[in-house]
Amino acid sequence: MTLSDTTATTAARTRAATESGIPGRRRNRIFGDEGTLTHPSSHGFLLVLPAAIFVCVFVLAPLVFALYISLTNWPLIGSYKFIGLDNYATIGEDPAFWQAVGYTLTYTAIVTLPILGLGYLMAVVVRANRPGSTLIRTLFFLPYVIGLSTLSFLMVLEAQPNSGAVNLLLKSLGITDGTTAWLVDGPLATGLICALIIWAVSGSTMVLLLSGMQAIPREVYESAEVDGSSWISREWHITIPMLRRPIAMSLILSVIGSFLAFSQFFIMTGGGPGRATTPIVLYIYQRAFVQLQVGAATAASVILIIVVAAISAVQFWLLREED
Amino acid sequence: MATMAQPVETSRTRHRPAARSGGGGGSEDRVKSILYWLSAFLTLVVFLVPLLWFVMRSLQPGTVIAAPPDPSTFFDLSFDNFRGLRAQGDMFRAVGNSLIVALGTALLTTVLATMAGYGFGRFKFRGSGILFGLILLTLMIPFQAILTPLFIQLNEMRLTDSLLGLVLFYSTVNLAFGTFVMRTAFMSVPDGLEEAARLDGSGTIGTFFHVLFPLVMPGMATTALFAFLAAWTEFLGALVFITRQDLFTLPVALVNLQQGTYGQLDFGLLAAGSVTAMIPCVILFIALQRYYVAGLTAGSLKG
Repeated sequence: MTLSDTTATTAARTRAATESGIPGRRRNRIFGDEGTLTHPSSHGFLLVLPAAIFVCVFVLAPLVFALYISLTNWPLIGSYKFIGLDNYATIGEDPAFWQAVGYTLTYTAIVTLPILGLGYLMAVVVRANRPGSTLIRTLFFLPYVIGLSTLSFLMVLEAQPNSGAVNLLLKSLGITDGTTAWLVDGPLATGLICALIIWAVSGSTMVLLLSGMQAIPREVYESAEVDGSSWISREWHITIPMLRRPIAMSLILSVIGSFLAFSQFFIMTGGGPGRATTPIVLYIYQRAFVQLQVGAATAASVILIIVVAAISAVQFWLLREED
Repeated sequence: MATMAQPVETSRTRHRPAARSGGGGGSEDRVKSILYWLSAFLTLVVFLVPLLWFVMRSLQPGTVIAAPPDPSTFFDLSFDNFRGLRAQGDMFRAVGNSLIVALGTALLTTVLATMAGYGFGRFKFRGSGILFGLILLTLMIPFQAILTPLFIQLNEMRLTDSLLGLVLFYSTVNLAFGTFVMRTAFMSVPDGLEEAARLDGSGTIGTFFHVLFPLVMPGMATTALFAFLAAWTEFLGALVFITRQDLFTLPVALVNLQQGTYGQLDFGLLAAGSVTAMIPCVILFIALQRYYVAGLTAGSLKG
């Protein structure tokens, strides 16, 4: 093609674009033709750029880097070399790894349904907007706002034998003699931590379910009443089916949160006694920063990433379904 | 954008002042009332009393906390623990560090999220869908799982042992949620308002400050609040990325206190430190409650 041909083509394309029938459309080779005179597409791009950069640098880059590290024997300081899939074999043969996985799953299994159930009950109590509902809703949610790390420190005080509130309460109710050392026994500590988590986290489930509950119109309930159904049956057949999506979402968020649990275990038991209360993130932490085996720790992290991403993907897929 | 349930919005549902879902007839109403007030009472006992108890603990001397309860000393309340906290240089500095980091995170997250929300919400450009998806993708990748590479990376960038590094890290973690909230906020501004400003000649920035800012301010408040609370209570990141004692944030200082780094564990100091961590969250939340709840419900209405 000759130069004049190219110019003619360009001119023709420009004409076509401006004659495309959309007034004020501004062409932009780089950022796209969807911009307009008042909303240049380049401005949109520049506005989102900083956030995108942050995400690339602090999330995506480490993600890729993690895959690389997991294939080396990186110590925390010093030189490293590529060792292929050895790390995965190492942790696969490490009983501590499987113990941590098992513990994480057990912990998740214990707390997930109570969190959903308690959150649901909380939502039922406050949804009718009776006097005092706002106060009650605030109180339900306050532990979540305070945060698990702070609550863990406070509970360390109260879990002490002979002087902590937990034992004082049990002693005054006559259930025990008040000397239980909760935090140095695996099952006892697990039970206490689970109770703390259920108490603290259910409020967030409540909030997720509440707006869904309040969106259900009265008519649906009223017509069911006319048919003579009981309150329980109305709840089961009307409310719960209509809350499928918020329930699914809160279950998934809760499960992911449980998989990633760390603070309460580190603070209250340090993972002990031994490894009795060590969830997977604590295992990774100890491998990397105590035993200084970053390569192996990262291999475990990669496995964790895959599991969590898979669960999140399920969540996104489920939430798309009804669009 | 789809909503969770498809509400049938008749005028009756909208104008009813106290819409009671699951309503019932006469005697059922009475039973429900009783159940409600019973629940209200239980809530006070199970949710309010523990928090008040925690505060009371911080006012008891450490020796009283550690000992079996003795009626004669149990109510010897004083602010000694807090004075001790103030005097204990490391703890006091830790409170300051947490404050700096939390405020910095709130500020940076809000700025980045507002800009991104503006760009995604009111502009069209090539790749906007992909970039938005990219940012949302971070919700699927929890930082706990990329802790080790992130540590090495931040180390190379000299951002470990640095409050700034912590702020940058926390901001990124909160960015996805904030961007989502802000995009929703910008998208709900009526087109007419913005067009009017544009026709008056203001550019992209001008339109934001003159017209859009007051309308998306609630979204900004929500983003800032979430970011502050997340940064204030965050533990694992602060534990891993900061090893210099003078840069510890409050949770890390508390765990050091507990493990005896600052000498013999004084329960009173631990209680006071924990309550100091607790009170700002409570106050902020109660004051800005509607923003917090709005943020969570917006997040759950993923469109």
